[in-house]
Amino acid sequence: MGLCALALCQVLAACATGVPPSPEALAANDPYEATNRETLRLNGKVDRYFVIPTVGLYFILVPENGRRGVHNFLGHLSLPVIFVNDVLQGETTRAAHALGRIVINSTFGLGGFFDPAVTLGMPPHREDMGQTLSVHGFKEGPFLMLPFFGPSNPRDAVGLATDWAIDPTNLIPMKQHIWWAAGRGYFTILDLRSQTYQTVRDIQRTSIDYYASLRSFYRQYREEQIRNGRKPDPQGLPDF
Amino acid sequence: MHLSTLSMPLLRRAVLALAVLLAPLAAQPAAAATPAESFVNENIQKGLEILRDKKLTVPQRRDQFKALLLGLVDTRRIALYTLGQYRNSASPADIDAFAGAFQNYATAAYQTYFAKYTDQILKVTGSTQRNPTDFIVHTQLIDPGSSQPPASVDFRVRTDQGKPVVVDVAYEGIWLSIQQRDQFVGFLGQNNGNVRTLIAHLSDLAVNLGKPVN
Repeated sequence: MGLCALALCQVLAACATGVPPSPEALAANDPYEATNRETLRLNGKVDRYFVIPTVGLYFILVPENGRRGVHNFLGHLSLPVIFVNDVLQGETTRAAHALGRIVINSTFGLGGFFDPAVTLGMPPHREDMGQTLSVHGFKEGPFLMLPFFGPSNPRDAVGLATDWAIDPTNLIPMKQHIWWAAGRGYFTILDLRSQTYQTVRDIQRTSIDYYASLRSFYRQYREEQIRNGRKPDPQGLPDF
Repeated sequence: MHLSTLSMPLLRRAVLALAVLLAPLAAQPAAAATPAESFVNENIQKGLEILRDKKLTVPQRRDQFKALLLGLVDTRRIALYTLGQYRNSASPADIDAFAGAFQNYATAAYQTYFAKYTDQILKVTGSTQRNPTDFIVHTQLIDPGSSQPPASVDFRVRTDQGKPVVVDVAYEGIWLSIQQRDQFVGFLGQNNGNVRTLIAHLSDLAVNLGKPVN
């Protein structure tokens, strides 16, 4: 929650800088580009000095099967939120898969560390409130680079906070809640970075402007997620 | 006339008629691939074979991959697109220099991207026609050693200059040329629209991408 508050402060600070955006930034729907670039630098330092060293340790200390179990378990914890968003988007088959995954992986998957549901034709999928808002007509708004969370926009930032608020594990009253939330957040970052380490490195290596590259990747990736794998209208592609 | 003598020829005719009617439907799954699909299937397999050929030295692999790529991809057309609005204000000499620098950069970058998928199988699943000379060929990259679902890779193929050429590639819905245009336009926006600065950076980047990764 502290990170969410910090991210919100960043958004408000970006809006309040008073520096007029460049025409290029406005054309790219990125009026807070200057602040966003600064935030990316901050995120890069956090990643380089705190996250990557622990990801290295994670690779050394935890064998591949263990890392897969952690990945499965973290995905399992997200299933109630995914199910709610599936329902809100009217994705009945995907909602049924999410529900089936909760039942099967909670029991036969030993609390979600294993994924027997995938062998029964219920593959994992992602869904979040940002996507749900998009399906119901909410536009993404200007690009934002959130501290610690990375690329986003107002719609996805609101979605992120809403998903956090409706997550059942955050609603269970318990004394050690802060440690649970911190541990889950920490392992989520470890898991995400261990999965994306090579991809991010390739983007950094092949980019002439890493920030602009990331912005483009994020926007296209989110569009793809919102379409749930359906092919877009080919007429929407640019002419060469 | 006995009923069976009448019904047998009729029945035979009915079965034959049904077979004739159903024949095109039965043939549909085995329909011949379109020229764009065949073009992608044959040439991308060739590219993956070059990248996975352990007998080649690093320079040999790079040169063979580059030669193949330059025969398949219209890098000049992509280069002009990636300049965005700055194409209109750049001089013809700068545009030519940029197209050359982009060619070197693109071959090095594509090799970096494709090198990760050398052990995977590319399967053409169909195509969409955007206009009479513009096709999107849909493929799946299947990793035989993984339980992960196949990755979706689309190739945009143009045929308006006689032979087919690839003008864009999308991995899981992310189009590479759009991403390159966004970053080049972003870079030029940060550098007063100076195309020569972009050319210098692209040339440096192409050299660095050719070096082995630490």
